[in-house]
Amino acid sequence: MFIAPNLLAVAVFMLFPLGFSLYMAFQKWNLFNPATFVGWANFHRLFTGDPLFAIALRNTAVFTVGTVVPTLAISLIVAATLNRKIKGIGIFRTVLFLPLAVSAVVMAVVWRFVFDTNNGLLNIMLGWIGIGPVPWLVDPTWAMVSLCLVSIWQSVPFATVILLAAMQGVPEDLYEAAKIDGAGEIRRFFAITLPLIRSASSFVVVVSIIKSFQAFDLVYVLTGGHGGPESATYVFGIMLFQNAFAFTDVGYASALAWVMFAILLVITILQLRFSRRNSLEQ
Amino acid sequence: MSSLTERVIKFNVLRAIALYTALTVMAWCALFPILWAVSGSLKKERDVTAPVLLPPHPQWSNYGEVFALMPFWRMFLNTVFYAGCVTTGQVFFCSLAGYAFARLPFKGRDVLFLAYLGTLMVPLTVTVIPQFILMRTFGWTDTPWSMIVPGLFGSAFGTYLMRQFFRTLPNELEEAAILDGCSPWQVYWRVLLPHTKPAVMVLAVLTWVNVWNDFLWPLLMIQRDNISPLTLGLVHLQGQYVSRWPVLMAASMLILLPLVIIYAVAQRAFIRGIALSGFGGR
Repeated sequence: MFIAPNLLAVAVFMLFPLGFSLYMAFQKWNLFNPATFVGWANFHRLFTGDPLFAIALRNTAVFTVGTVVPTLAISLIVAATLNRKIKGIGIFRTVLFLPLAVSAVVMAVVWRFVFDTNNGLLNIMLGWIGIGPVPWLVDPTWAMVSLCLVSIWQSVPFATVILLAAMQGVPEDLYEAAKIDGAGEIRRFFAITLPLIRSASSFVVVVSIIKSFQAFDLVYVLTGGHGGPESATYVFGIMLFQNAFAFTDVGYASALAWVMFAILLVITILQLRFSRRNSLEQ
Repeated sequence: MSSLTERVIKFNVLRAIALYTALTVMAWCALFPILWAVSGSLKKERDVTAPVLLPPHPQWSNYGEVFALMPFWRMFLNTVFYAGCVTTGQVFFCSLAGYAFARLPFKGRDVLFLAYLGTLMVPLTVTVIPQFILMRTFGWTDTPWSMIVPGLFGSAFGTYLMRQFFRTLPNELEEAAILDGCSPWQVYWRVLLPHTKPAVMVLAVLTWVNVWNDFLWPLLMIQRDNISPLTLGLVHLQGQYVSRWPVLMAASMLILLPLVIIYAVAQRAFIRGIALSGFGGR
């Protein structure tokens, strides 16, 4: 009885949608006319008939790699710097984690201001060192760079929280022993810290991939909702939104959702395999 | 001898300076877009390009203009209402179900719990379209119901979180109560729930932040301004006044402020919650 309301909610809003979405992936339905069964036609169209699918796949891949790799590198450095008992470290932690509270929408609006070609802070600062105005959100290549920058800014605090927690679990005496053996700070980081927090870093990578693979809010607000300029930021999140809710091609959008899900599953499994094999070799 | 101590001290001082410099640079990177936005929100429109952080004549009237251009208080109250309802519902129903999963033996419990865990893996993209159609079928699109009901009766993630916490509580707590003839409900409500405060805090903060910052769902559901939450209002405002940066920044900061306050007050629960949210979204 205690779980009945909860179970009902999970069934109605999670389990039913899951099944229904799979069912719709094989239908043609525009929300108004009755749905008709079309077999694999939606998937066929995705892979062979829609040039936008390849564009979205490419952009999503670039965006995901361009977010996850720098995020991991930066957050490792930040977490290692924060992982010390010195005066005032609490204040620095508070400040560095603050972006966690900022919603993607607010962030995107604020960053549009920072990126503004004529009035933006970035171009003003680049101007000081003699670099001409960069067309951040206007030029297709730069638009993707901008998107990755904001996304990195957004995901570093989260990754840092996880990595810092893992680093604090590394036994102190390992460092002491290495110190006596004459290992420097950087050596100790690579020889002790990195191997021991491997599972945390792998978790960070998986979660960041899942998040950036499905990014929507940020892209929608930052580059205007259509994946522009010139479909340079047309990612899967935007493609799904357009097909489902602008063109109301619900069956096609559901097929896309399942393809995304499948790609994510494969990546996650590969990643888990990979990190497990690595930790076995140790 | 003394020169060696001197050198060690000198080295340590240098190290501390390097460390604090690095931390300051990092903190600056995390904060500068927000500070720049605050600064922009206080500038005159023709001065937004001026590269000064502290505007000489702060234009508080920009904030007044936000209230004139969008029904801010109305949207603020909407958001508080949605977040309040969903948070209360989540905490109540998730802790109830979490208690049952942790402490009450019943048939099929573990299988059911595994199914719950499974739904955590399903990405939002797969479920969002059927959820949209569900709301349409109920006739709830563009009503407050669509913002409240899907989250009200609990979620798999919240249940998982609460169950894990209930399991850490010692059995002795309830044994005495059961001997005294308490019903399972009394055990839950009077004996165990008061002990779960840390987990409840995490779940509450996390739910509140999610509802507050959510954009995709309100974008799909809500058209009318008078039931719209703040994120949607901000995006509409941006659509209408594309480059009136001071007003846009003022609105962004007003939306951000309540979360920064929550972050400052409940920092521990906040960070723990965000870290845990990596294990499964809403």
